[in-house]
Amino acid sequence: MKATAAPLDATLTVDASRRAAGRTTVGARGRKPLTWKKRSTPWVYMAPAMVVLLLMTVAPTIFIFYSAFRNDKILGGVGKFVGLDNFIEAVTNASVQHAFLITFGFVAVAVILEMILGFALALPLAAQTRANKVGAALMLLPFAVTPAVAAMVFKQLLNPNYGWVGYYLGVFGFPKGIDLLGDPTSAWIVLVILDMWQWTPFIALILMAGLQSLPGEPREAAMVDGATPWQMFRHITFPAMVPFIAIAAVLRTIQAFKTFDSFKILTGGGPGESTEIINLGIFRVGLQSFNVGLACALGVVFLIILSLLIPFMLRIIGRRADPEEM
Amino acid sequence: MTTTSSTSRGGAMARVIIGRTFLWAWLLIGLVPLLFMLITSIKPAGIANQIPPAWIFQPTLDNYASVLSAGGGKSESFGQLLTNSAIVSLGATALAILVGVPAAYALTMRDFRARKGLSSWILSTYMFPPIVAVIPIFVFAGKLGLMDTYPALIIPYAAFNLPIVVWILRSSILQLPYEIQEAAMVDGASTWEVLRRIIWPLLVPSVATAAVLTIVLSWNEFLFALSLTRSGAKTAPVGLQQFTGMYGTDWGNITAAATLIVAPILVLMVVLRRQMVAGLTFGAVK
Repeated sequence: MKATAAPLDATLTVDASRRAAGRTTVGARGRKPLTWKKRSTPWVYMAPAMVVLLLMTVAPTIFIFYSAFRNDKILGGVGKFVGLDNFIEAVTNASVQHAFLITFGFVAVAVILEMILGFALALPLAAQTRANKVGAALMLLPFAVTPAVAAMVFKQLLNPNYGWVGYYLGVFGFPKGIDLLGDPTSAWIVLVILDMWQWTPFIALILMAGLQSLPGEPREAAMVDGATPWQMFRHITFPAMVPFIAIAAVLRTIQAFKTFDSFKILTGGGPGESTEIINLGIFRVGLQSFNVGLACALGVVFLIILSLLIPFMLRIIGRRADPEEM
Repeated sequence: MTTTSSTSRGGAMARVIIGRTFLWAWLLIGLVPLLFMLITSIKPAGIANQIPPAWIFQPTLDNYASVLSAGGGKSESFGQLLTNSAIVSLGATALAILVGVPAAYALTMRDFRARKGLSSWILSTYMFPPIVAVIPIFVFAGKLGLMDTYPALIIPYAAFNLPIVVWILRSSILQLPYEIQEAAMVDGASTWEVLRRIIWPLLVPSVATAAVLTIVLSWNEFLFALSLTRSGAKTAPVGLQQFTGMYGTDWGNITAAATLIVAPILVLMVVLRRQMVAGLTFGAVK
């Protein structure tokens, strides 16, 4: 497979020419009215997928909007309507506010660091050398590891009594038996490092594909004109890379908001509640304390916040991944 | 990184060397956790978590034999957990492809007015946070008596991978020359025959990509598996977490189990590297 991504204006001209060509082909529309059967055909093909998606996304959404106004417990029989109580609790509770705050903080820090490092790795990786073929394969290894397994391996490495990290830090003169997960600050650093280890490769490989697909002529012209490397990067490479950067950033942001495994396994939200991001909070309230009403209210708030990302996703992914024009 | 404004060969060389050094340092340090996992899993009993770490030892496969055999105070053998993972992943993939291919085809039909809106809607379901779905699905599964069964995982996994599957397949169909379909229709072929005889044979490579991605993502899933299974349908990543309680610090067994989970996925991902990245970006990056 070859990298095929033209700069935006080029895709537009391609689309325009395809549309013009499309007009000359015999279209089904506008000649004779479609029969009902013909018009219903696509819906028949769509139906099974729509049933699956309705069951797993729309039905749960309806459920959480309904349950958020009730005090149902999974184990405690039938609850009743309680109005806005759950939402008031969800918005005013200090530990909930803290959970939302650290979630945003984690997503922002992780995505920004991964984008910068991913770009720094993509630049040397984009050169088509034999070593880089091996490099790209090695790059993918951490990304391919099951996140729950990765978290557990990190936990063993950090074990204060038997872990490699503590031992080798000790060799270099750090205090013996250091427990990095026992302190909020170092626990956060570990969680961000684990996330970077797993996900920076994904970004690096997207940006690598982008760099490899850039046309060579502008760079050559700039070289002939005696542009400095910094000018080349600033005025040629970077602007052409913007669409790829946008794709990587949007996808990674969405995925980062779904982070659960690493926190659950490495710290379980601790020490105290210092690393209890909203995903862990909802899990604890809903599936461990069985307070469905409050968990659903939190879910509603979280869902509304995440919905704000949809337009970005549709614009950036939808437009670029779509052979027709959206 | 500081950039010199010199265009001399020396400056360019220095930059290349810094870049490459950073790249290879990253790659090698990144391998440490994997090396730890692999090395510990082949250490003989008793020295797996010895401090300082043992680097010279007689490699053994005892740990693998031990985790794959039932009994020994374990509720289920790890082999059964891997089987559960495989059944759930393959089941979810079969379901996603089965409903995804016709949907992708419908979304390319030229006289289907709703296709753009529906395509966008399907793409936007990728945003749906699993944590929000897991509580209702937990309640539904309980009411329907599906708790701790394969379908309780297969259906959600298929649903959450559908946006990727449908978008990969849809753009593949759009890239086929439309004239082939038209010619067949002029000859009197029905939409089903067009899908069956013309599109499907050309779509097989894309279906394979979508299928592998769905297998990998289902195999790796943790939240739903943790919430919706107890014993009968428990998947390997969930079972692994309980190993720590069962084996305490028997790291040889734990890392052997971890390696067994990761190995098949690593192979698939490395072999199909480009397709995986293309698929995970919904075909936006090829």
